[in-house]
Amino acid sequence: MNMDKERRKRLASLPFSEKLKIVEKLRDRDRAIAASGLRKMKVRQAVDPVAQSK
Amino acid sequence: MKATLEMINGMKNDGMIGIYAIGGAVGATFYLEPLATADVDIFVMLPTVPGSPLLSLAPIYDYLRARGCHTEGERIVVGDWPVQFLPAHSALEQEALAQAVETEVEDVRTWVLGAEHLVAIALETGRAKDYARIVQFLEQDAVDADKLNPILMRHGLAGKWEKFARKYLEE
Repeated sequence: MNMDKERRKRLASLPFSEKLKIVEKLRDRDRAIAASGLRKMKVRQAVDPVAQSK
Repeated sequence: MKATLEMINGMKNDGMIGIYAIGGAVGATFYLEPLATADVDIFVMLPTVPGSPLLSLAPIYDYLRARGCHTEGERIVVGDWPVQFLPAHSALEQEALAQAVETEVEDVRTWVLGAEHLVAIALETGRAKDYARIVQFLEQDAVDADKLNPILMRHGLAGKWEKFARKYLEE
């Protein structure tokens, strides 16, 4: 827990421009996941556990 | 982000918009760790047209479309970011814009809403993700209570803050 707090603090102290580059990487990762359909599959599996074996 | 902000600054220089400031998750990232988001919220003061009480975003969209931007639902993609322009309607939003913090992103001048105004706007908006963001601000000591309290009082949010604090901060 302390390590997580330290990591967040360290990230928060980065210059804004650097933090925005990380935000862009997070956005691109989310877009890639959405485009691959993985997220939909995950949701479907959560709703219907039987789908996991399909 | 650089291209996005250059285009928005161009709009400001051309008189399409008045003062503006980044809000939402990107604005919060100025004060916190990087937060995942799909778009950029830009709070903006729109120039008023004499004789017309209506403020329209249509001229902004026309301006940006003429420069190669395209719409994506209620957002418009500027550079590589979907942008949502949010006209500052309420007294809180107008005050937040007037007191925005000037900064630079990759040598491009820009403005970000102050931490306390971001928290007050999140409280006013009141979705689960807004409350979660307020908790992040508090956990990271990124808000000054001496600045936040007068804002909450001025804009009638003290009661809402008490309810929020009871539900999310006293457990």
